[in-house]
Amino acid sequence: MSMLLERPLSVGNGLESGVMTSDTPANSGDLSSSDTERTTLSPTKAELREQTRGLFEEQALPFLDQLYAAAMRMTRNPSDAQDLVQETFVKAFAAFAQYEQGTNLKAWLYRILTNTFINAYRKKQREPYQGTIDELEDWQLGGAESTTATSGRSAEAEAIDHLPDSAVKNALQSIPEDFRLAVYFADVEGFSYQEIAEIMKTPIGTVMSRLHRGRRLLRELLAGYAAERGLGTGQDQKTSRSTEK
Amino acid sequence: MTDCGCEKAKAELEEYLHNELRKNDAADIREHLASCPDCSSEHLVGRTLTEVMQRACKETAPEDLRDQVLLKLRSLQASH
Repeated sequence: MSMLLERPLSVGNGLESGVMTSDTPANSGDLSSSDTERTTLSPTKAELREQTRGLFEEQALPFLDQLYAAAMRMTRNPSDAQDLVQETFVKAFAAFAQYEQGTNLKAWLYRILTNTFINAYRKKQREPYQGTIDELEDWQLGGAESTTATSGRSAEAEAIDHLPDSAVKNALQSIPEDFRLAVYFADVEGFSYQEIAEIMKTPIGTVMSRLHRGRRLLRELLAGYAAERGLGTGQDQKTSRSTEK
Repeated sequence: MTDCGCEKAKAELEEYLHNELRKNDAADIREHLASCPDCSSEHLVGRTLTEVMQRACKETAPEDLRDQVLLKLRSLQASH
Protein backbone atom coordinates (compact mmCIF):
# COMPACT_ATOMS: atom_id res chain seq x y z
CA MET A 1 0.00 0.00 0.00
CA SER A 2 2.83 2.45 0.63
CA MET A 3 3.21 3.08 -3.09
CA LEU A 4 -0.37 4.05 -3.30
CA LEU A 5 -0.02 6.62 -0.58
CA GLU A 6 2.88 8.37 -2.21
CA ARG A 7 1.17 8.68 -5.51
CA PRO A 8 0.38 12.26 -6.48
CA LEU A 9 -3.35 12.22 -6.64
CA SER A 10 -3.89 15.14 -8.91
CA VAL A 11 -2.12 13.46 -11.80
CA GLY A 12 -4.50 11.76 -14.16
CA ASN A 13 -2.33 9.16 -15.82
CA GLY A 14 -1.13 5.86 -14.47
CA LEU A 15 1.68 6.00 -11.98
CA GLU A 16 1.87 2.41 -11.02
CA SER A 17 5.43 2.55 -9.85
CA GLY A 18 4.91 5.59 -7.68
CA VAL A 19 7.42 7.57 -9.70
CA MET A 20 7.05 11.28 -9.25
CA THR A 21 6.19 13.33 -12.26
CA SER A 22 7.64 16.67 -13.19
CA ASP A 23 4.74 18.62 -11.82
CA THR A 24 5.17 17.08 -8.41
CA PRO A 25 6.83 19.46 -5.97
CA ALA A 26 10.46 18.45 -5.59
CA ASN A 27 10.26 18.27 -1.84
CA SER A 28 7.48 15.73 -1.90
CA GLY A 29 10.14 13.07 -2.23
CA ASP A 30 10.80 13.58 1.45
CA LEU A 31 7.37 12.48 2.36
CA SER A 32 8.28 8.98 3.18
CA SER A 33 11.33 9.82 5.23
CA SER A 34 9.70 12.05 7.77
CA ASP A 35 6.43 13.80 8.07
CA THR A 36 7.96 16.48 10.25
CA GLU A 37 10.22 17.74 7.46
CA ARG A 38 7.39 18.51 5.16
CA THR A 39 6.63 22.00 4.03
CA THR A 40 3.17 23.40 4.36
CA LEU A 41 2.57 22.64 0.69
CA SER A 42 3.00 18.90 0.75
CA PRO A 43 0.24 16.94 2.39
CA THR A 44 0.84 14.51 5.22
CA LYS A 45 0.59 10.80 4.69
CA ALA A 46 -2.69 10.80 6.47
CA GLU A 47 -3.96 13.50 4.18
CA LEU A 48 -2.84 11.56 1.14
CA ARG A 49 -4.58 8.47 2.39
CA GLU A 50 -7.66 10.51 2.95
CA GLN A 51 -7.42 11.86 -0.60
CA THR A 52 -6.95 8.41 -2.10
CA ARG A 53 -9.95 7.06 -0.29
CA GLY A 54 -11.94 10.12 -1.28
CA LEU A 55 -11.01 9.66 -4.92
CA PHE A 56 -11.81 5.97 -4.81
CA GLU A 57 -15.17 6.58 -3.19
CA GLU A 58 -16.01 9.31 -5.63
CA GLN A 59 -15.15 7.20 -8.66
CA ALA A 60 -16.04 3.66 -7.67
CA LEU A 61 -19.01 4.01 -5.35
CA PRO A 62 -21.41 5.20 -8.06
CA PHE A 63 -21.14 1.65 -9.46
CA LEU A 64 -22.49 0.12 -6.26
CA ASP A 65 -26.02 -0.55 -7.51
CA GLN A 66 -24.80 -1.92 -10.82
CA LEU A 67 -22.25 -4.18 -9.16
CA TYR A 68 -24.88 -5.36 -6.72
CA ALA A 69 -27.25 -6.19 -9.56
CA ALA A 70 -24.52 -8.18 -11.29
CA ALA A 71 -23.64 -9.89 -8.01
CA MET A 72 -27.29 -10.85 -7.58
CA ARG A 73 -27.26 -12.57 -10.96
CA MET A 74 -24.01 -14.29 -10.07
CA THR A 75 -24.72 -15.50 -6.55
CA ARG A 76 -28.50 -15.67 -6.87
CA ASN A 77 -29.15 -14.44 -3.34
CA PRO A 78 -29.00 -11.06 -1.60
CA SER A 79 -26.77 -12.09 1.28
CA ASP A 80 -24.02 -13.57 -0.90
CA ALA A 81 -24.41 -10.68 -3.32
CA GLN A 82 -23.74 -8.17 -0.54
CA ASP A 83 -20.69 -10.07 0.63
CA LEU A 84 -19.40 -10.29 -2.91
CA VAL A 85 -19.84 -6.56 -3.53
CA GLN A 86 -18.13 -5.70 -0.27
CA GLU A 87 -15.21 -7.95 -1.07
CA THR A 88 -14.99 -6.45 -4.53
CA PHE A 89 -14.71 -2.92 -3.14
CA VAL A 90 -12.10 -3.97 -0.61
CA LYS A 91 -9.99 -5.60 -3.31
CA ALA A 92 -10.47 -2.73 -5.72
CA PHE A 93 -9.43 -0.22 -3.07
CA ALA A 94 -6.34 -2.25 -2.24
CA ALA A 95 -5.44 -2.39 -5.94
CA PHE A 96 -6.45 1.15 -6.77
CA ALA A 97 -2.82 2.16 -7.32
CA GLN A 98 -2.74 -0.21 -10.27
CA TYR A 99 -5.83 1.27 -11.82
CA GLU A 100 -4.82 3.63 -14.57
CA GLN A 101 -6.81 6.84 -14.28
CA GLY A 102 -8.73 7.62 -17.41
CA THR A 103 -9.14 3.99 -18.46
CA ASN A 104 -12.37 2.06 -18.13
CA LEU A 105 -13.08 1.92 -14.41
CA LYS A 106 -16.35 0.07 -14.84
CA ALA A 107 -14.71 -2.79 -16.75
CA TRP A 108 -11.89 -2.84 -14.18
CA LEU A 109 -14.37 -3.19 -11.32
CA TYR A 110 -16.31 -5.90 -13.14
CA ARG A 111 -13.10 -7.81 -13.70
CA ILE A 112 -12.45 -7.78 -9.96
CA LEU A 113 -16.06 -8.70 -9.25
CA THR A 114 -15.98 -11.62 -11.67
CA ASN A 115 -12.63 -12.88 -10.40
CA THR A 116 -13.78 -12.70 -6.83
CA PHE A 117 -16.96 -14.50 -7.67
CA ILE A 118 -15.22 -17.26 -9.56
CA ASN A 119 -12.60 -17.79 -6.86
CA ALA A 120 -14.78 -17.54 -3.79
CA TYR A 121 -18.38 -18.25 -4.61
CA ARG A 122 -18.47 -20.46 -7.60
CA LYS A 123 -16.81 -23.25 -5.68
CA LYS A 124 -19.67 -23.27 -3.20
CA GLN A 125 -22.31 -23.61 -5.83
CA ARG A 126 -22.94 -26.77 -7.71
CA GLU A 127 -23.14 -26.11 -11.37
CA PRO A 128 -23.98 -29.22 -13.34
CA TYR A 129 -22.30 -28.14 -16.56
CA GLN A 130 -19.31 -26.35 -15.11
CA GLY A 131 -16.20 -26.55 -17.21
CA THR A 132 -17.73 -28.42 -20.08
CA ILE A 133 -20.50 -26.14 -21.18
CA ASP A 134 -18.58 -24.64 -24.08
CA GLU A 135 -18.01 -28.09 -25.48
CA LEU A 136 -21.63 -29.12 -25.62
CA GLU A 137 -22.98 -29.48 -29.10
CA ASP A 138 -25.80 -27.24 -30.17
CA TRP A 139 -28.24 -30.10 -30.39
CA GLN A 140 -27.59 -30.95 -26.74
CA LEU A 141 -28.64 -27.47 -25.75
CA GLY A 142 -31.81 -27.57 -27.76
CA GLY A 143 -32.39 -25.49 -30.81
CA ALA A 144 -34.47 -22.37 -31.04
CA GLU A 145 -33.41 -21.34 -34.49
CA SER A 146 -36.55 -19.64 -35.49
CA THR A 147 -38.46 -21.22 -38.28
CA THR A 148 -41.68 -19.50 -37.36
CA ALA A 149 -43.39 -17.13 -39.70
CA THR A 150 -43.05 -13.38 -39.42
CA SER A 151 -46.40 -12.95 -37.70
CA GLY A 152 -45.48 -15.68 -35.22
CA ARG A 153 -42.27 -13.89 -34.36
CA SER A 154 -43.99 -10.57 -33.81
CA ALA A 155 -46.35 -12.34 -31.44
CA GLU A 156 -43.38 -14.01 -29.77
CA ALA A 157 -41.70 -10.64 -29.19
CA GLU A 158 -44.88 -9.22 -27.75
CA ALA A 159 -45.43 -12.19 -25.47
CA ILE A 160 -41.86 -12.02 -24.18
CA ASP A 161 -42.26 -8.30 -23.65
CA HIS A 162 -45.28 -8.92 -21.42
CA LEU A 163 -43.57 -11.39 -19.12
CA PRO A 164 -43.07 -10.29 -15.53
CA ASP A 165 -39.53 -9.49 -14.39
CA SER A 166 -39.54 -12.56 -12.15
CA ALA A 167 -39.95 -14.85 -15.16
CA VAL A 168 -37.05 -13.17 -16.94
CA LYS A 169 -34.83 -13.49 -13.86
CA ASN A 170 -35.83 -17.13 -13.46
CA ALA A 171 -34.89 -17.83 -17.03
CA LEU A 172 -31.53 -16.12 -16.59
CA GLN A 173 -30.87 -18.06 -13.39
CA SER A 174 -31.54 -21.34 -15.08
CA ILE A 175 -29.08 -21.10 -17.94
CA PRO A 176 -25.47 -22.21 -17.42
CA GLU A 177 -23.37 -19.71 -15.58
CA ASP A 178 -20.85 -18.87 -18.31
CA PHE A 179 -23.71 -18.16 -20.69
CA ARG A 180 -25.53 -16.14 -18.08
CA LEU A 181 -22.53 -13.94 -17.36
CA ALA A 182 -21.77 -13.31 -21.03
CA VAL A 183 -25.39 -12.41 -21.74
CA TYR A 184 -25.60 -10.23 -18.67
CA PHE A 185 -22.43 -8.35 -19.51
CA ALA A 186 -23.45 -7.75 -23.13
CA ASP A 187 -27.17 -7.15 -22.88
CA VAL A 188 -27.63 -5.59 -19.47
CA GLU A 189 -24.30 -3.85 -18.97
CA GLY A 190 -23.59 -3.07 -22.58
CA PHE A 191 -19.97 -4.19 -22.47
CA SER A 192 -18.28 -4.76 -25.82
CA TYR A 193 -17.23 -8.28 -26.80
CA GLN A 194 -13.63 -7.27 -26.23
CA GLU A 195 -14.38 -6.05 -22.72
CA ILE A 196 -16.29 -9.23 -21.93
CA ALA A 197 -13.39 -11.30 -23.21
CA GLU A 198 -11.12 -9.46 -20.78
CA ILE A 199 -13.53 -9.68 -17.87
CA MET A 200 -14.14 -13.41 -18.39
CA LYS A 201 -10.59 -14.12 -19.55
CA THR A 202 -11.69 -15.98 -22.66
CA PRO A 203 -11.13 -15.49 -26.38
CA ILE A 204 -13.66 -13.34 -28.20
CA GLY A 205 -14.88 -16.36 -30.15
CA THR A 206 -15.87 -18.03 -26.90
CA VAL A 207 -17.69 -14.89 -25.81
CA MET A 208 -19.64 -14.87 -29.07
CA SER A 209 -20.54 -18.51 -28.79
CA ARG A 210 -21.65 -18.13 -25.16
CA LEU A 211 -23.75 -15.13 -26.07
CA HIS A 212 -25.34 -16.84 -29.00
CA ARG A 213 -26.17 -20.00 -27.10
CA GLY A 214 -27.19 -18.18 -23.96
CA ARG A 215 -29.58 -15.92 -25.80
CA ARG A 216 -31.02 -18.83 -27.68
CA LEU A 217 -31.69 -20.75 -24.48
CA LEU A 218 -33.25 -17.69 -22.90
CA ARG A 219 -35.48 -17.10 -25.86
CA GLU A 220 -36.69 -20.65 -25.75
CA LEU A 221 -37.33 -20.53 -22.01
CA LEU A 222 -39.17 -17.22 -22.21
CA ALA A 223 -41.30 -18.36 -25.11
CA GLY A 224 -42.11 -21.42 -23.00
CA TYR A 225 -43.09 -19.29 -19.98
CA ALA A 226 -45.22 -17.12 -22.20
CA ALA A 227 -47.03 -20.15 -23.58
CA GLU A 228 -47.60 -21.49 -20.05
CA ARG A 229 -49.12 -18.18 -19.06
CA GLY A 230 -51.39 -18.25 -22.04
CA LEU A 231 -49.64 -15.34 -23.69
CA GLY A 232 -50.09 -16.51 -27.23
CA THR A 233 -46.87 -16.77 -29.17
CA GLY A 234 -48.36 -18.54 -32.14
CA GLN A 235 -45.60 -21.11 -32.00
CA ASP A 236 -46.94 -24.09 -30.07
CA GLN A 237 -44.95 -26.39 -32.26
CA LYS A 238 -41.62 -25.22 -30.87
CA THR A 239 -42.27 -24.76 -27.17
CA SER A 240 -42.45 -28.41 -26.22
CA ARG A 241 -38.76 -28.63 -25.40
CA SER A 242 -38.61 -25.62 -23.16
CA THR A 243 -41.64 -26.52 -21.07
CA GLU A 244 -40.24 -29.81 -19.94
CA LYS A 245 -38.90 -29.59 -16.43
CA MET B 1 -29.90 -1.57 -54.04
CA THR B 2 -27.02 -3.23 -52.27
CA ASP B 3 -29.17 -5.44 -50.09
CA CYS B 4 -26.99 -7.99 -48.34
CA GLY B 5 -29.68 -10.63 -48.20
CA CYS B 6 -31.23 -12.71 -45.47
CA GLU B 7 -28.34 -15.08 -45.03
CA LYS B 8 -25.83 -12.42 -44.06
CA ALA B 9 -28.39 -10.52 -42.02
CA LYS B 10 -29.42 -13.56 -40.00
CA ALA B 11 -25.83 -14.52 -39.40
CA GLU B 12 -24.91 -11.07 -38.12
CA LEU B 13 -28.06 -9.94 -36.36
CA GLU B 14 -26.66 -10.56 -32.93
CA GLU B 15 -23.46 -8.63 -33.61
CA TYR B 16 -25.59 -5.91 -35.12
CA LEU B 17 -27.75 -5.80 -32.00
CA HIS B 18 -24.66 -5.50 -29.81
CA ASN B 19 -23.08 -2.79 -31.94
CA GLU B 20 -20.16 -5.00 -32.84
CA LEU B 21 -20.27 -4.55 -36.60
CA ARG B 22 -18.19 -2.15 -38.60
CA LYS B 23 -20.03 0.86 -39.90
CA ASN B 24 -20.46 -0.46 -43.44
CA ASP B 25 -21.62 -3.88 -42.34
CA ALA B 26 -24.07 -2.35 -39.90
CA ALA B 27 -25.43 -0.13 -42.66
CA ASP B 28 -25.92 -3.19 -44.89
CA ILE B 29 -27.90 -4.94 -42.18
CA ARG B 30 -29.93 -1.84 -41.42
CA GLU B 31 -30.81 -1.51 -45.06
CA HIS B 32 -31.81 -5.14 -45.32
CA LEU B 33 -33.94 -4.98 -42.17
CA ALA B 34 -35.85 -2.03 -43.58
CA SER B 35 -37.02 -4.06 -46.53
CA CYS B 36 -37.31 -7.57 -45.10
CA PRO B 37 -40.21 -8.26 -42.72
CA ASP B 38 -38.86 -11.72 -41.99
CA CYS B 39 -35.45 -10.54 -40.74
CA SER B 40 -36.84 -7.49 -39.02
CA SER B 41 -39.25 -9.61 -36.98
CA GLU B 42 -36.33 -11.82 -36.01
CA HIS B 43 -34.45 -8.69 -34.99
CA LEU B 44 -37.47 -7.53 -33.00
CA VAL B 45 -37.38 -10.72 -30.93
CA GLY B 46 -33.67 -10.18 -30.31
CA ARG B 47 -34.15 -6.59 -29.25
CA THR B 48 -37.04 -7.55 -27.02
CA LEU B 49 -34.86 -10.14 -25.28
CA THR B 50 -32.28 -7.47 -24.50
CA GLU B 51 -34.90 -5.00 -23.31
CA VAL B 52 -36.71 -7.37 -20.98
CA MET B 53 -33.37 -8.38 -19.43
CA GLN B 54 -32.39 -4.78 -18.84
CA ARG B 55 -35.75 -4.14 -17.28
CA ALA B 56 -35.76 -7.23 -15.09
CA CYS B 57 -32.21 -6.95 -13.81
CA LYS B 58 -32.43 -3.49 -12.26
CA GLU B 59 -31.50 -3.65 -8.61
CA THR B 60 -30.88 -1.12 -5.93
CA ALA B 61 -28.32 -2.13 -3.36
CA PRO B 62 -29.64 -2.25 0.20
CA GLU B 63 -29.03 1.04 1.98
CA ASP B 64 -26.79 -0.52 4.61
CA LEU B 65 -24.51 -2.05 1.97
CA ARG B 66 -23.28 1.41 1.02
CA ASP B 67 -22.68 2.17 4.70
CA GLN B 68 -20.86 -1.10 5.24
CA VAL B 69 -18.61 -0.49 2.26
CA LEU B 70 -17.80 3.04 3.42
CA LEU B 71 -17.03 1.82 6.93
CA LYS B 72 -14.79 -0.89 5.57
CA LEU B 73 -12.87 1.52 3.36
CA ARG B 74 -12.39 3.89 6.28
CA SER B 75 -11.07 1.15 8.51
CA LEU B 76 -8.74 -0.02 5.73
CA GLN B 77 -7.45 3.49 5.26
CA ALA B 78 -6.80 3.81 8.98
CA SER B 79 -4.94 0.53 9.20
CA HIS B 80 -2.41 1.27 6.46
